[in-house]
Amino acid sequence: MQCRAYLLPGLRIADRERQRRMLRAIGLILGIVGSLWSPAAQAAVFKFPSVNGWKQVGEIQRFDPNTLYEYINGGADLYLAYDFEELMVAEYQNDKKAAVTVDIYRHRTSTHAFGIYSQERSPGANLIDVGVQGYVEKHALNFLFGSAYVKIASYDTGPEDQTILLAFAKGVAGNLGEKGAFPSIVTVFPAEGKVKNSEKFIARKFLGYPFLHSAFCADYEVSGRNFKLFIIEGKDQADCRDMLGKYLEQVGMKDKSVVEGPYTLSDAYHGEIDLRWRGVRIWGILDLGDPGLRATYFRLFEEELQKAK
Amino acid sequence: MKRHLIGRRDFVKTTLAGCGGLLLLPSEAKAQETKSVESKGKERKFVYRTLGKTGLKLPVINMGVMNSDNPNLIKAALDSGMVLLDTAHGYMGGRNEETIGSVIKGRPRDSFMIGSKVSLPQDRSTGLYLEGATTEEFLRKLDISLKRLGVDHVEILYHHGVSRKESVVHEPVLKAMEKAKKEGKIRFAGISTHMNEPEVVHATVDSKFYDVILVAYNFQQQHMSEVRSAIARAAQAGIGIVGMKAIRGGHRQTPTVQSAAAALKWVLQDPNVHTIVPGFTAFEEMETDLAVLENPKLTEDEKKTLQKEASLTSLYCQGCRQCLKQCRNHLPVPDLMRAYMYTYAYRNLALAQDLVLSLNLPNHACEDCSQCSVKCSVGFNVSAKIKDVVRLKDVPSEFIG
Repeated sequence: MQCRAYLLPGLRIADRERQRRMLRAIGLILGIVGSLWSPAAQAAVFKFPSVNGWKQVGEIQRFDPNTLYEYINGGADLYLAYDFEELMVAEYQNDKKAAVTVDIYRHRTSTHAFGIYSQERSPGANLIDVGVQGYVEKHALNFLFGSAYVKIASYDTGPEDQTILLAFAKGVAGNLGEKGAFPSIVTVFPAEGKVKNSEKFIARKFLGYPFLHSAFCADYEVSGRNFKLFIIEGKDQADCRDMLGKYLEQVGMKDKSVVEGPYTLSDAYHGEIDLRWRGVRIWGILDLGDPGLRATYFRLFEEELQKAK
Repeated sequence: MKRHLIGRRDFVKTTLAGCGGLLLLPSEAKAQETKSVESKGKERKFVYRTLGKTGLKLPVINMGVMNSDNPNLIKAALDSGMVLLDTAHGYMGGRNEETIGSVIKGRPRDSFMIGSKVSLPQDRSTGLYLEGATTEEFLRKLDISLKRLGVDHVEILYHHGVSRKESVVHEPVLKAMEKAKKEGKIRFAGISTHMNEPEVVHATVDSKFYDVILVAYNFQQQHMSEVRSAIARAAQAGIGIVGMKAIRGGHRQTPTVQSAAAALKWVLQDPNVHTIVPGFTAFEEMETDLAVLENPKLTEDEKKTLQKEASLTSLYCQGCRQCLKQCRNHLPVPDLMRAYMYTYAYRNLALAQDLVLSLNLPNHACEDCSQCSVKCSVGFNVSAKIKDVVRLKDVPSEFIG
């Protein structure tokens, strides 16, 4: 096979040879850089921890977006929606034949890892201080760490279950590097009435609409009313204009001009929605019928957005 | 490198295999009826079938809630005329059942039905249960699910993700199901399977224990005719059949189907399938399903689309992994078949080469055997494909874009 297709026409043979060498060098460099940055390379340097009294059994299993189905079947769809890149699985056993499985899911960004973590975290979860945040329940401990979502499951571990899970969690966290933080935008949700740990990142089809690509949201409970605040970050203003334009069309307001400012939409599926567009952000309130409370929460939301600028 | 994508003879052979029996379906269900339903203020006529001996009358499409965290989407599905919400103890770490709970709160209990699933620890490589797979653990999970859902019973509780006949009759699960039925926590005992489906379905019929089977069934399955026969036998025995993975092909991710409606209709052409529970996360997907619910008959154009797509599936390994035990040289055959798929179906040589290089293959893979010991379950000429695709090892990476 020759690399003729890559060569520019009209060059002398010596020039062509020089260009050929240059292309090879560029290819080599790109290949090396690519492999260093790839999740596979990160995975290669990651070492599953040793935990006292436990022995790693079997090979480390690896799954990519094409094979994740083999491990979690239909559950893979949700992980793929959060730009899943690689899963590494290690299994451990102790002398009593109790078992622990450590799953490390790597996602494209820490925001996507937060997204999938937030989908599975219950607001009432028993939180623990591992990684950015984690929680533990019977036979399971999950935590967020940078672009990794770590899930540890135990089996037949008896009354020491949580101690064992924590020992594994600390061991894994110790080998993962920089733990990162929650996406900074979650701080813009006003504290008043917010359901603790209800913040989520929805990676696709926010509100059930493919044109609203992604959003952050949080749940609120005020005087017995349950509602949701959300914020969408566009790539740029044009992206926001496009999303809003499509939303207006969806709710039968396609003749309305799409300009920055407030909107009240009557959505057949979600009821009345108030939202605002400014710059690269669209934010709004869902499932709140009380206009007074809506106004209060828009004010609080916008104060936080100002602070975050 | 000599390029021959798919030989003409191979193409014809695999295409015929892929299409085999695709449209040779029994006539549509006689036991179906059309019911006028108020769907978001409009009157629509939806097709209903009876879920075997359970006697439950269900629209032929219901909602697989699995990946939806959107309460308004679930509300819309119920308000539009869907009845059965399909979920599981493990979906979204339990948040899926909680979301359903928030939607059904306050709705009349006879206006919706719930199918949930409980799994117990299995050995991943054999599909057999581990020691901790006990009656108590099963019932503990069921109680948590009922609490999350905010109900005192579910219509169907499935024994989740069964892939072996031995697991179908795992005594602790049968005891748990019996107890749950007696206590009124479940109305019907079900079993779900998305791997080795024919064996599981036949074992389920033989067990005479279960009322409902939730089974992966779609036009792209290579072993579709075996699944179809097993389903027919189960339906004949009075077991209610719920189809899943009508659009996606089970434990592998297929490229997006060209027509979701056609894929759904294909399953519903089989009168032995009583309902299906496709997952959706967008309102437009729900509207597609509702349109099929009104008219599940395949059009001529849809039939052509399905035939064309089915011919492509012949490039995909079905992941049965039987070859792993058969290969004398212990080659990672499913991975190599995946590399072959990347090369010829996805036309992604870089991905294929990355995979081939990561497998640490011996030199001259397949060259040492005079006769291949692998008998592929879908008839792939495994050694020819391996010899073909391992040549990527020798191609300099910079030539592969």
